[in-house]
Amino acid sequence: MMPRSARLPVVAGVAVAAGLAGAMLAPPDRLQGELVRLMYVHVPAAWLAFLSFGVTFVASVAWLWRRRPGADRIAAASAEIGVFFTGLAIALGSIWGKPTWGVWWTWDPRLVTTALMFFVYLGYLALRRATVDPLSRARRSAVFGVVAFVQVPIVHLSVLWWRTLHQPPTVLQPGDPTIDHSMLAALLGNLAAFTLVFAVLLRERIRLAADEDAADAAQHTGDRGLAGDAVAAPRMEDSGV
Amino acid sequence: MTELASGPGPLRQCVELARKDLRAETRAGEALLVIAPFGAVALLLVPLAVGADTPLLRELGPGLYWVVVLLVGMLVTLRASTVDGPAQLELLRLCGITPATRLAGRALANAVLLLGVQAVLAPVAVMLYDPDLSGWAWLLPVALLVAGGLGVLGALADALAQGLAGRTTLGPLLVAPLAVPLLLGATQVLTAARYDRGPWPWLVLMLTADLVAALATVLVAAHLEEA
Repeated sequence: MMPRSARLPVVAGVAVAAGLAGAMLAPPDRLQGELVRLMYVHVPAAWLAFLSFGVTFVASVAWLWRRRPGADRIAAASAEIGVFFTGLAIALGSIWGKPTWGVWWTWDPRLVTTALMFFVYLGYLALRRATVDPLSRARRSAVFGVVAFVQVPIVHLSVLWWRTLHQPPTVLQPGDPTIDHSMLAALLGNLAAFTLVFAVLLRERIRLAADEDAADAAQHTGDRGLAGDAVAAPRMEDSGV
Repeated sequence: MTELASGPGPLRQCVELARKDLRAETRAGEALLVIAPFGAVALLLVPLAVGADTPLLRELGPGLYWVVVLLVGMLVTLRASTVDGPAQLELLRLCGITPATRLAGRALANAVLLLGVQAVLAPVAVMLYDPDLSGWAWLLPVALLVAGGLGVLGALADALAQGLAGRTTLGPLLVAPLAVPLLLGATQVLTAARYDRGPWPWLVLMLTADLVAALATVLVAAHLEEA
């Protein structure tokens, strides 16, 4: 019988395997050929970045409202995952851009705003690392978690606000998506699979953070013996004193 | 008598706090006598790195000026909290000054100092780079918007990083990515004016960034108070 905590990782693993199989079976693009298969990881990575930072925003607001340590752990865990997937989206986009646009990097609004979002949340993680006191850390990072979220809609809307090389929205737009339906099915499958991966990573990171907090609390409550306790006092029995 | 009984309003408190910061700066002279000259040195170093190509430097000059203002401005705004000890904050709290007023006062002082830094660096940039100054009158609203926005963002980052060991390096990391709309707007306004295009969209972008930063700072200020 599989333990309950192992079910989600197994389901996520199966979903990712199925999603990647779907990506390999989907038809190649008329212009980009096989390169289009990068889309099945690049788009979910970008989606997870948005989702993660959205969760960080909501958890930060929740901490400022209720001051529960759990909300701070959710915000921190989600931001870490978001930074990782933002970096992955940028790296994959760069690998995709070299054969398509001819350069690893271009000063396109979507790319630049995404890079800025990456650095904003790196700053969030740096702020957390720099603050030792847990309450102060939670307060400062919750405030910055709220302010930093302003970057997320800017990244999403950058392809509409400015003329860009980057693809405009093809799924999240009014009307029928401008993508072949078999490719769309594979893309949506990967989006769902990566969302499950996010859930697994978030759960495990929150558990780890809770364990870290418990270890810190145990260390600070002074439940360990004093230094020198193990040293016995000298015995004077033989000397007859 | 009425003012004594009820105390000065938030606007007056804000102005007085800004005056306090500016008086401290007048005595120390750090922003205008140390940090601004450092910015001038940075403007001097760039041509040595990219080559003394006069037409290229004329093109790059305005952009480099605003980059230096942004980087130097962060140094100006992020050093203010070093003078605020816990006792001083406690005193301000006992006087009934709200966190939002305190941050607004700091942002106002930052903005005035940044205008001073811009005024010191502008002739240096003109002398070293000889940029095309057509449409220079637009620099006045741009300077105000950059100083205001950077002042607010600096005050917020300064409050976030107050008392932390890595405050001087953490602060710029928090401010720089959020200040990009100001940099973009500042550089594009002059370019637009040079080509007889209306610079209004860029001014609106900068004003929006300033207002969003100010609104966010006012909304979160109370949560930055240590319990």
